[in-house]
Amino acid sequence: MKIRAIALNTFKEAIRDRILYLLLFFAAVCIIFSRLLALLTVGDRVKIIKDVGLSSLSIFGALMAILIGTGLVYKEIDKKTIYTIISKPIHRYQFLLGKFFGLVLTLFIMLLLMSFIFLALVFFHTFKIEWEMLIAILFIFVELCLITSVALLFSCFSTPILSSIFSLAFYLIGHTAWGLETLIKKVKPGFGKTLAQVLYHFLPDLENFNFKTEIVHHLSIPSEVFLFSILYGIFYTLFILALAILVFRKRDFI
Amino acid sequence: MKDIKKLNREKGFSTLFLIFLLILTCGIFMSLKIKIDNIFRKKIPGSSIIYIPSGKYLKFASFGNSSLLADLVYLWAIQYYSDYSIADRFKYLDHIFSIINELDPRYLDPYEVGAVIAAYEAGDLDLTLKILDKGLEKNPEQWIFPYLAGHYVQMIKKDYKLARAYYEKTMNIEGAPPHTRHLYADAAFKSMDYQTALQTWLEIYKTAEEERIKKIASNHIYQVKAAVDIQRIKGAIEKFKERYSRNPMDLSQLVRTGFLDSLPKDLDGKEYLYDSRTGEVKPPSIPWKR
Repeated sequence: MKIRAIALNTFKEAIRDRILYLLLFFAAVCIIFSRLLALLTVGDRVKIIKDVGLSSLSIFGALMAILIGTGLVYKEIDKKTIYTIISKPIHRYQFLLGKFFGLVLTLFIMLLLMSFIFLALVFFHTFKIEWEMLIAILFIFVELCLITSVALLFSCFSTPILSSIFSLAFYLIGHTAWGLETLIKKVKPGFGKTLAQVLYHFLPDLENFNFKTEIVHHLSIPSEVFLFSILYGIFYTLFILALAILVFRKRDFI
Repeated sequence: MKDIKKLNREKGFSTLFLIFLLILTCGIFMSLKIKIDNIFRKKIPGSSIIYIPSGKYLKFASFGNSSLLADLVYLWAIQYYSDYSIADRFKYLDHIFSIINELDPRYLDPYEVGAVIAAYEAGDLDLTLKILDKGLEKNPEQWIFPYLAGHYVQMIKKDYKLARAYYEKTMNIEGAPPHTRHLYADAAFKSMDYQTALQTWLEIYKTAEEERIKKIASNHIYQVKAAVDIQRIKGAIEKFKERYSRNPMDLSQLVRTGFLDSLPKDLDGKEYLYDSRTGEVKPPSIPWKR
């Protein structure tokens, strides 16, 4: 109940943020701009629209999560409103989870709006609703939840600027960590290889949520991949949230 | 005092629980990662290539948006190659289309458009074939690539043997258009493999359901048979000429002198036309006007 109250409050606060609408506007412009880009191609125009659209959802969604998420806790501390909240009979984990779910709800609404524009544009070209696009969008949402938890974690102990840089680094690492697989193959057995293997399994692999190319090309994806990818997203988010709660509990506001 | 102790104990337990949760979730997501990696996922051929020939990490730097990057490079390439004011625009044609293909190997349009530009604009047939071969390698289920390669080789290089090999590849891919067999037979005929050409046209004739296709096949069979017969007759004329230093008066003379066992006739049972002055032999009918 307390978590829900904080979540709703966070949601109300987040939707008042001008940066959210600025990002939504740019996302919409990018999705609509894909129509113009498609005019320049020779061949399948819808492919361009789908690629630009899905990438816009992913990139602008991540920017929303990072730019709003990193300021969530910091703002409360900076404006000293945290004192009124923690003096109430509320646990710190409830406060943090409320903030998390509030932002997740905001991102869900934003993703819904962007997806509507995107799917409408695709429908305008193919005259059919491509439901499989929703799979790619669902995994973009799972990815955004994970990024939100990371932004929240950094927001617990750092300034918004630094937190944004750290979260952005997390996003970039998450999309490039698969390159370690090549490194593991090339490195001779020993400490270096073990370290690379540990890093490969520990670092976030956001490519597990990237089904954009497969969906656009109508490739078959085994159902276990969907299941394990969702579970991977849930448990990684849980891990980051547990870490954030641990950090936030130790935090002194004096 | 008791309350403070209780509070501290509760705090200690919850910290322990959080640490336990951290270890547990870490263990779970790491084992899930191993599990996901072990699932056979129909990967896009060539997706493991990280480095593009220039050495830049273009795919790597796309942060999971390699398809989008491929689209952008492709769009740029189309505009670039449409600008006739750039004299040396074909210098990096291979390089640019390789980048697109590596970024999104399943994107079919760039292979086709790249091949058209290489064939007709750059006049580089080897590059055309390279692009189309790569397209087939990455998308083995797409018949269009060997089909187009066969077309370019036949039309531009006039290498019917190679064209035949490409059409053969096309025929082996599911969904290839039925007329590929016609092209294959025609390429076999033009590369003077009359046996294969005749056999293929006969098969087409036997399996055709449409009367129109049967007629086309029949005309080709007529053409191939005439070519085989004329080749045989001309060989006999050459031998006759070697012995008598002149052309035979008529074709029956070749049978009488033992250069031919019997006089071949065309598919309609008509005799071949012969000009004793020039030694030229022609079929009595034009195959397409029978």
